[in-house]
Amino acid sequence: MTSSSQLLIPLHVRYIQSLGEDDLTYHLTAHLRMNAVYWGLTALCIMDHKDALSKDETIEYVMSCWVDEAGAFGPHPDHDPHLLPTLSAIQILVIHDALDRIDVPRVTKFILSLQQPSGVFAGDQFGEIDTRFLYSAVNALSLLDQLHQLDVEKTVSYIKQCKNFDGGFGAVIGAESHAAQVWVCTAALAILDRLDVIDQDTLAWWLAERQLPNGGLNGRPQKLEDVCYSFWVLSSLSVLRKVSWIDADKLTSFILSAQDTENGGIADRPGDLPDVFHTIFGVAGLSLLGYPGLVDIDPVYCMPANLIESKGLRKGWEALPRKAS
Amino acid sequence: MHGVKRVQYSQAALEAKKQRDHDKLKAYLALSDDVIARKKSHDMSNEAFELTTRLLRMNPEFYTVWNYRRDMFIESLFPQRSPSEVNELLSDDLSLTFELLKQHPKVYGIWNHRRWCLEHIPDGPSPDDVNGYRNSTWNKELFVVEKMLDADARNFHAWNYRRYILATMPFPPPPKSELAYTTRKIEANFSNFSAWHQRSKVLTTLWETGELDRVKSIEEEFELVRNAMYTDPDDQSVWIYHAWLIGNGNYAARLQFEITSIQELLDEQPDSKWDKKALVDSCLELLAKLRDIDPPRRRRYDEIAEGIRSGNEMQ
Repeated sequence: MTSSSQLLIPLHVRYIQSLGEDDLTYHLTAHLRMNAVYWGLTALCIMDHKDALSKDETIEYVMSCWVDEAGAFGPHPDHDPHLLPTLSAIQILVIHDALDRIDVPRVTKFILSLQQPSGVFAGDQFGEIDTRFLYSAVNALSLLDQLHQLDVEKTVSYIKQCKNFDGGFGAVIGAESHAAQVWVCTAALAILDRLDVIDQDTLAWWLAERQLPNGGLNGRPQKLEDVCYSFWVLSSLSVLRKVSWIDADKLTSFILSAQDTENGGIADRPGDLPDVFHTIFGVAGLSLLGYPGLVDIDPVYCMPANLIESKGLRKGWEALPRKAS
Repeated sequence: MHGVKRVQYSQAALEAKKQRDHDKLKAYLALSDDVIARKKSHDMSNEAFELTTRLLRMNPEFYTVWNYRRDMFIESLFPQRSPSEVNELLSDDLSLTFELLKQHPKVYGIWNHRRWCLEHIPDGPSPDDVNGYRNSTWNKELFVVEKMLDADARNFHAWNYRRYILATMPFPPPPKSELAYTTRKIEANFSNFSAWHQRSKVLTTLWETGELDRVKSIEEEFELVRNAMYTDPDDQSVWIYHAWLIGNGNYAARLQFEITSIQELLDEQPDSKWDKKALVDSCLELLAKLRDIDPPRRRRYDEIAEGIRSGNEMQ
């Protein structure tokens, strides 16, 4: 068994390349496939192995999920269109510089059609609402350069109403603060230049208190540590410029200890089965912590930072400086 | 995936597991391909409906199949049926989703389908009682969500669903009864942050409508919080709730009183009269102590101390 005090990049690259070999879990999660492709690709970018998966095959997969009647993407061929896979599709095409494959006006129309009178977005025509969908809409519109079509006031006013007694945000008005929902609201506000909505000291305190004695972060008080919160919590703190409020060394050790040192990939916590979701968020967390040899990630978009910067979309966030070694 | 342990299998056990998974996969793919093919050909038959039931039992996260099932209700199962029959069909789906929720309490698609069922309950049973079906269903829903919260008091899907039920009930119980529900949940377990959160929302409503006097209510909340603090001083929920109460009351006087109480808890200094400088000194002292006992967050305490020092110098 190799040591897990280092990020085992070649092993994780091979892990991502091997995903999709016929197993039950893979097929039971077809409804997440587009997201999974985006997670895998972004992880490869941050580990500086963008070309480890075929660009052409990836783009062909994305386009095979286009649902023409809706003007949107599903997660897998023959699955219904939805906002979440539509965002992931756009992100993948942006990373591969292939946005020209998208019918921008039609996708924009689909996204805008999902905004509710209250300002929140639904995920599809069946009407489930969640601040995750609000973020997906704002992110997608900004990547498509269509943000000017959004009713910003209405969108921001919904997020304002989601603010809780602890400074955090939930999935809908009235919902409990949860780190993933905090991230989507904070990142959406960053894109819309409305960070004034946040009680920054209070929220940064709530976020800092997610760190447990074992160094890992949880998503809410009294919950277990989980590697994915390395991203949700850390990126929110980056936007608030308070990454120093958590112990970077302890968190780094925790993430590294959750690696599967035999088969590659990162798990939610040490000893568990890895998956591509925890792999990207573990690697992204390490990047924000300045781990040597990784590429900068933009915490607002969860995409390579230089790419977002080149599109003129970089906001005022701060990560820890990249260590030399 | 969350919470799935890595297991070391022997070669023989690994082979056996691979075979079982392979057989399960074959069966799953056959069913999934059949349902998707029927969906594409717009098959709205009872047979197709039954197949979606089978497939959703195997994979309740397959949202496209929930969509197909709902389309079948609208296009073929509801039309030509009486309100009583429609109500019956929806009752069956509410039972199905309750069964699935017991095994999969956090799957969005199942909770969504419940809401959809509720939203499609027909008027009835009679023109004089158009909300009869709804009343009876909503009352059952409150019971269902209480069961889910008894099983996991931190399940945010269940709490969100509870708030949705209360907000849409034809005859909702008064906010004070929800306050009592949060009291029960908190007294059962002081670290139930979800219950403290709900309490913060209910109290805010009661203060805004004037049903509860804010000042008196906050005094009572400090009492509740004090009990919780003495029971479990390390519990985070209580301290976060406490910070919110401080922000809502008469700041200076309360802060003075609270620092005194906290000092008693830390058994640090005897009671004494405070003036403003003593308050600042006490804060700086506490921050230095916090740095020692909570090292991961030392940078935050440093920033706060800096803020107090520079603020104090400016006086």
